Order: sequence, then structure tokens, then C-alpha cells
Amino acid sequence: MGPHIVSAFDSDLQLLNRKIAEMGGLAEEQLSSALKAIAQRDVELAAEVVKGDKKLDEMEMEIEEAAIRTLALRQPVATDLRDTVAALKVASTLERIGDLSKSIARVADILSQHRPLLVVAPVVRMGRQVLGQLSEVLDAYTSRDTPLAVSVWRRDVEVDVTYNSLFREILTYMMEDPRTIGVCSQLMFVAKNLERIGDHSTFIAEMTYYIVEGEQLGDDRPKGDPIDADIAVDMPD
Amino acid sequence: MTVAEDLGGDAPAETGAVARIPSASARTAPELKMTARSCDVFYGDNHAIKNVDVDILDNTVTAFIGPSGCGKSTFLRCLNRMNDTIDICRVTGELTLDGEDIYDAKVDPVQLRARVGMVFQKPNPFPKSIYDNVAYGPRIHGLVRNKADLDDVVEQSLRRASLWGEVSDRLDQPGTGLSGGQQQRLCIARAIATAPEVLLMDEPCSALDPIATARVEELIHELRENYSIVIVTHSMQQAARVSQKTAFFHLGHLVEYDDTTKIFTNPHDKRTQDYITGRIG
Ligand SMILES: Nc1ncnc2c1ncn2[C@@H]1O[C@H](COP(=O)(O)OP(=O)(O)OP(=O)(O)O)[C@@H](O)[C@H]1O
Ligand SMILES: [Mg+2]
Repeated sequence: MGPHIVSAFDSDLQLLNRKIAEMGGLAEEQLSSALKAIAQRDVELAAEVVKGDKKLDEMEMEIEEAAIRTLALRQPVATDLRDTVAALKVASTLERIGDLSKSIARVADILSQHRPLLVVAPVVRMGRQVLGQLSEVLDAYTSRDTPLAVSVWRRDVEVDVTYNSLFREILTYMMEDPRTIGVCSQLMFVAKNLERIGDHSTFIAEMTYYIVEGEQLGDDRPKGDPIDADIAVDMPD
Repeated sequence: MTVAEDLGGDAPAETGAVARIPSASARTAPELKMTARSCDVFYGDNHAIKNVDVDILDNTVTAFIGPSGCGKSTFLRCLNRMNDTIDICRVTGELTLDGEDIYDAKVDPVQLRARVGMVFQKPNPFPKSIYDNVAYGPRIHGLVRNKADLDDVVEQSLRRASLWGEVSDRLDQPGTGLSGGQQQRLCIARAIATAPEVLLMDEPCSALDPIATARVEELIHELRENYSIVIVTHSMQQAARVSQKTAFFHLGHLVEYDDTTKIFTNPHDKRTQDYITGRIG
């Protein structure tokens, strides 16, 4: 598509997209560090993740301001409008992904007070799968690559399948060794948060599709029907 | 469909009530007011409008948008035969109002223009008093019985064009002595004084301040209850705000015609997209 006649409009939209790319990179890093923190029972790294989340909150606000300014001053329409609105929504999605990563990192504290547990490894593996989905969908978003976005979107079902089998695995572990019930319920909660990050990634895929095609991706996405365990609820902040 | 089905069959009463809603909305669904088929317009050798097909719906605001010189005014003028007054202009194709050919030899262009009113791109008050400018149409078409009725039509028309407050104490002064924006509102008052069925407005707000513009937009909204309105505008925001249908013209072609929301969120044609988003094509 050609450039705008008013070149400042192009700079505004480019700035928004640059900020989203930057914020996406940071969200990936946060998730990656959170996973490392629980894998290595690294309390310090976990604390860094918690601290780093503030940066994501700030970036969300910056993007929101920039998007609102663009809406007010440029009155974007058509693809420009979709670009701007999607930036708003993706920024708030990334902020939520950040919150979930922060909660995941916090579990490192509890893990560090226990002997190492075998069941942590499959949780981290699920985390890598979700991280892969997130990086791919952010690439798709940045390059406006709908086929890639749709492929990520379809693959979320695999995350759901992993989640369900992991849920059973953790449950079995708890039953075999009741002393691990407390810590394992925390791991279930990590798994649940990862599953949610997967869902947020599919939302970013939907936004990518929306920007490019001007239509919603529809809701016939294959779903794995993740187990909604009462135990896997939000941990207080 | 049986009567029982029509009333929602043996479904509970509430469902029956809901089932009647679609027929109510079907009744109010806009009908075709004007149509153009294979319309071409030439100014001598200049082919200004090329094979345009379009429907103008009743109780609907249709916006014509497009770059300067693409033929919006030319096409608008076809709809009430205003092009007849231009010697070198030749219009071909079929244009109808309520299903009847408006270029038929039997049609009196003056009568047609009472039904299809027009507000021009440049304000053009007659060199007469403000009062006479507005009273002109109702008088020649015999729409009023006495002076009191005429006074009433003049006042109402000026009020609706949001000019009354500024001119009520000097109705006898020449319309040409008003400011540009006031003249434009005077022309709007003149156009609505004959209660036309279709109102054609060629950039009616280009000389108006934001308040007067908002009032004209409110008037358009109000008129839409009873009339069909076609507005040419260079303001994308205005087109988006006031119209339900939008037609995009480019180099004499009608490139895209669709619901206004569709045009401004997800236009089909790249030329429309480039134009409304302000891009270099
Ligand atoms: N009276 C006329 N005599 C000869 N050519 C004309 C006349 N009016 C318009 N044209 C030509 O017809 C073409 C379309 O002009 P028109 O005025 O319909 O454009 P427009 O879309 O209304 O532009 P604008 O947005 O600038 O008002 C132009 O090439 C113009 O030069
Ligand atoms: Mg014009």
C-alpha cells in the first residue's frame, strides 16, 4: 500500500507498530525468564520478572496514548483504523500476558522451598510450546502474515491437549505423594496460566487477520476443551 | 407461511411479539427512489461520467465522494436535469424517479426540480430579498394559499437551515448581502421550502463554520425521515457521519457503492481505500 499524503500519519502508525513490536519482544522475554525461574528454582530471576512487569504496564499506557492521539488527530479509517484499534487491543493483551508471566515466576519461590520435583519439567516443556506460539504470532502480527497467524491459531488446540494431559500427570503425582499437594496445585496453576497465554496468542492471531482482511477470523477454531479445574484459579497478586 | 407461523406459531406470547418485529422493519426498509442505468455524460468531447449504475434509496442519505474533477457534481446534476442548462452537455442512459424516466419528453424539468431540489456547490442566492429567495419556490409551485402560510413556510425553512436567528429582523434585505456561509444556508432554506422528495446537496457545508455544519448535518438527519438525500462532500468524516450509503467516484467511473460503514471500515476496491485513507495511489 502506498504512503500517506500526510507523511506524519505514516510516522504515527509506524511508531505504534514499532512500540507493539518492542512490547511483544519484552513480553516474550518475560515469559521465557519466568519459565527459566521455575525450571531452575531461581528466586532472583523470578524477582526480576516481577519487577520487569512494570515496564510492560508502562508500555501499554504509552501505546494507548499514542493510539488515542492517532484516533483524535488523524481520524483513521479502513485499514488505518483497523491498525490503530488492533494496536490498542494487542497492547492490552500483551499486558495481560505479562501479568500471567509474573504469576508464573512467583511460583519459583514455592518451588525453591521444596526438593526438586520431576513434574516441573513437563510444565516447563508446555511453557516452551506456548512461548513458541507467542513468538510466532508476534512475528505474524509484525509482518502482517495471515497464513502464519492462522497456523498459530489452529495450533492452539495442541496447547489445550498438552494442558489436559499435564493436568492428569500432575494429579497423579499428587495422589502418589500427598506431601506434594500444595506445590503441585501451584504447578497446575502455572499450567492454567500457560494455557491462557496460549489463548491470548490466538487473539493476537485474530487481530492480525482482522487488520489484513478486514473481517473477523470466525470462531470455528479447533478447541481442546481445556479442563477448568477449580484448583487452577488465580493466585492473589 | 400460515397465519399461525406468522404470529410465531404456538410459541409463547413473547416470542410471538418478537416474531412480528421483522415484518415491521421490512415495512420501513428503504425503497428505491431514483435509479441510474448506463449513464454517460459528455461535455463536448470530454467524457465526464462513464457508464454509471446507481440506486438512490428513499429515506436514506447517500454520499458521493471522490477526488476533485471525478464527476460528482456532474452526476448529481443529472438527477434533476440541471445539466439541460449547459449547452455542450449530453446525457445518455436511463434515469428514473419513482420508476419513471426523468428524461422523457413528457417530463417538465421545472416540475421535476420541485420534486428533486438542489443546493449548489457555490451559494447562488437570487438578487432579491432574503424573504423572496425562500418564498420563490412555494410561490411558483402554488404550494401556499395565503401570505400567512407563506410567512410560515419562510420562517420554518429558515429555522431548519439554522439561519432564522441571524436574519429574522432583515428579511427584506438582499440575499446577496449575506456572508458566504449565510448565503449557503439561505440556499438550503430555499431548497427545502418546496418540500422536495429528493434533495441534492453539492458540498453544502464547504463554506460553513463547525456549528452551522453540525446544524446542517442535524437537518439532514431530520429530513431523512421523509426524504431521500444525496450529498456530495469532500469531508470523509462528514460522509461517514451523515450517510447510510456511499458511492465513490473516480475519473468518471463509479468505483464502489456500498453501506457507508463498509466503505469506511473495509472498502473493497484499492482506489477507494487509497482515497479515504489519504494515500498516494
Ligand atoms: N459546465 C461544464 N462545462 C464543461 N466541462 C465541465 C463542466 N462542468 C464540469 N465539467 C468537466 O467535467 C468533469 C467533472 O467535473 P465535476 O464538476 O462533475 O467534478 P466534481 O467531482 O464535482 O469535482 P469537485 O470536487 O472539484 O467539485 C471535469 O473534467 C470538468 O472539467
Ligand atoms: Mg463538484
